[in-house]
Parts: sequence; structure tokens; C-alpha cells
Amino acid sequence: MVAVKSVFAPYIYVCTRMRVRKSKLIPHEEYMRMLNMSLPEITRVIQETEYKQEIDELGTVFKGIDLIEVALSWNLAKEYQKIQEITPGNLKEFTRSYLRRWDIQNVLTILRGKMQGEKVGKIKEILIPAGSLDRVMLDRLLAEENPERIIEALKGNRMYPVIAREYPVAKESGSFSHMENELYKQFFSEIIAEAESGIKGGNQFLDFIRFDIDIRNIKTLFRLRADNFEEDALEMFIPGGVLTAMDFASLNAIRDPGEFIEMLKVRIRNKFLVTLLDELKGETAVRDVEVRLTRVQLDQMESLSKRNPFSIHPILVYLEKKKYEVINLRALARGKESKLPSEKIAEYLVV
Amino acid sequence: MVDVPVAAAITDVALMNASQMGMKALGAGMAVGLTGIGAGVAEMAIGSAAVGATAENKDVFGLVLLLTVIPETIVIFGLVVALLLIF
Repeated sequence: MVAVKSVFAPYIYVCTRMRVRKSKLIPHEEYMRMLNMSLPEITRVIQETEYKQEIDELGTVFKGIDLIEVALSWNLAKEYQKIQEITPGNLKEFTRSYLRRWDIQNVLTILRGKMQGEKVGKIKEILIPAGSLDRVMLDRLLAEENPERIIEALKGNRMYPVIAREYPVAKESGSFSHMENELYKQFFSEIIAEAESGIKGGNQFLDFIRFDIDIRNIKTLFRLRADNFEEDALEMFIPGGVLTAMDFASLNAIRDPGEFIEMLKVRIRNKFLVTLLDELKGETAVRDVEVRLTRVQLDQMESLSKRNPFSIHPILVYLEKKKYEVINLRALARGKESKLPSEKIAEYLVV
Repeated sequence: MVDVPVAAAITDVALMNASQMGMKALGAGMAVGLTGIGAGVAEMAIGSAAVGATAENKDVFGLVLLLTVIPETIVIFGLVVALLLIF
């Protein structure tokens, strides 16, 4: 009876739905086929998959790359909202918490777009209303004349204190990167607190968050190494993962690539990551490293979802894989539009 | 006239028969009831997954319906045992 109590029927229902949806994602072979197609052919292939409704609806308004871009964004937002609707109980709370990261992306996109004097329609095309800020609220923000009024409109939102505090610096420097770092730090500290608050299933959610933070910190370390960044690197560190601020600073100070990887391996215990780090010893291109780290993250999430079949993990795996499907299709379409060779585009795909 | 000890013995036998019949009925009831609960528990998980799969892909309805009723066999075993006990 213990097993019966711990597996709640709606969890089985929603996790099965996620598995079915995951099986409908575009497979690796299809991407390889699409690499040899032109943009209209790619649009037609996408139209035959789960994106049919969006392509049909938007086909009269948009054309070419714009059609694919907007259709992908709409589909992703629709999918994420649908998942929030069907997830029950605690899983809904965790899913909402996970999706709040889209609020950061949307608000920063609007602020950056407004700062650069971009047209409202153009900014709207790339917004993904999947977080707590819905389409109506995002439209309200877009309708505001300047960034100051957008920030005022966000009063009451959990991001407001950080945005209000960081905006003067961002305005002066013309860069929102510091604000972005601070928003992500706040986001992760909040979702860690939620996962640790004793809600059932919180530990499994915490496993995902910690690994996500580690991957982000490792990606930052590799980027810092590639850019020879001399400023305060700790500003980009996100606390909450296995790596501490001290580890991060000491790893960033190591110049020798071999020694850096060895020291990183000592601190990271995840077997997928350790195997990847061994392979990365001779790697220099940051983009390759990032793509491979993302693949490891997805593998780890897949493994967690198999270990905990009726938990938040199957939902998170699907949400992440769906996100990367959209990113891949966008990379493919943009690459084709820019007439990049197929081999070059393939390097950007996370499959 | 029947002797008092003989009458008591007849009453005892009647009581014993009634008690045995009662125990059989109780056993039969438990055989059906407990297997019913077992099948229900099993079907809860399969049924939830089946509804989830059908919601995403209606073509699998026939297959998942078949999978959902497989635990019903447990109740049939229980029913057979109950019938054997009673008759």
C-alpha cells in the first residue's frame, strides 16, 4: 500500500502524456535530412509535424524565416501553457517555477528592444509567454513608451526589486548583462527555496536545479577562459550547485587547460560530466563545449526521469527537449537563410 | 421422548454446520473482495497511463483498453475460488 500511496494516479497520467509528447519530437535523422533542404522545404516538413496549426494560421501573415520564427515561438508558448494546465498538484507548482525563467527572458527582451528602439511587432515576434507573465501582460509592457515605464508596470512582480535596483547601472552602461545575472541568481535562489520547503517531490526537483546550476557555471567558466575575461568573474557565478564560489574563483584562476579539467573533475562527481570532461581535454571551441554540455545535461535528465518515472523529471525532460527542438529548428532556418554550409549548421544542433 | 444429551449433540452438529457454512461464505466474500481491491489498485495505474496515452494519441485506445482490463483476471480467479468454496 505504501507504493500505491506514493504514486498518485494523476502523476502517472501526466507523465505518460509527457512521454508520448517526447516521442513525437523531431528525431535526429530528420534534422540530418533537413540539413540538405532549402528554407521552403524545411517549412513544409515542419508543417507536417506538431507545428502544423501555427504554420497554417501564420502562413497568410508571415513568409520565409519570419514564418518559421513566429510559428516556433507560438508553438513553444502554447505547449508550455498546455503543460501547465494538465499537470496536477505539486507538479504544477514545480512546472510553474521552472517556467518562470521565461519571464526573465521576456522582460529583458522587451527592455533591450525598447532601449535599441526596435519596433513593437518585431519584439513581440520573439517573446515566449510561457512564464507567469501572460500574453496580455507582455502586450501591456510592450505598449509602454520607455524602459522606466515598463519597470513601473512590473511593480508587484517578484522581479521588480532586482530590476528597479539594477536598471540605473544598466542604463548608464548600456548593457543588461549584470541585471540578467542578478535576475537569474534571484530566480535560482527562489526555486531552491521552494524545492527545499518540504513539498513532496521537492528533492527530485532540487536534483534538477542543482545540476542545471552546475552546467551553467561550467559553461560560464569555459566562456570566461575563451574570452580571457579579467573582470570580477564571481559576478557571473550562480550559487546553489555543487561548485562553491571559492571553487569557481579558483577554477577560473587556472590557465592551463589540462589542469583546469582535472581540477573540475575533482569537484564534479556526476559520471556523465566526468566522462565528457575527459573528452574535452583537447577541445578548444567554446560553442562545441557548450553544445556537448547541453547534451550531457539532457542525458542526465533523461536518466533521472527513468529513475523517477512518476515525478517532475519526465515533465522537465520534455520541456527541455522541446525547447532545444525549437532552438534547433531556428538554428537550421537561420543557417539556411544566411546560406551557411550544412556542416556549420550541424555544429549548432543539440540532438 | 429424546434424551437431553442426544438433543444437545444434535444442536452442536447443527451449530457446527452453520459455522462451517458461515466461514465458507466469509472466505468466498474475502476471495472476491480482496482480489477486487487488488485489481482496482493495478487498474488505477494502468488506467491513468492509458487515459494519458489516449489523450495524446487516439489510435492506441483499443490497445490500452485491453491492457487496462488485464488485472480483471485476478478478480476472476477470486470468483472461481469463491464459487468452489460455496458449491
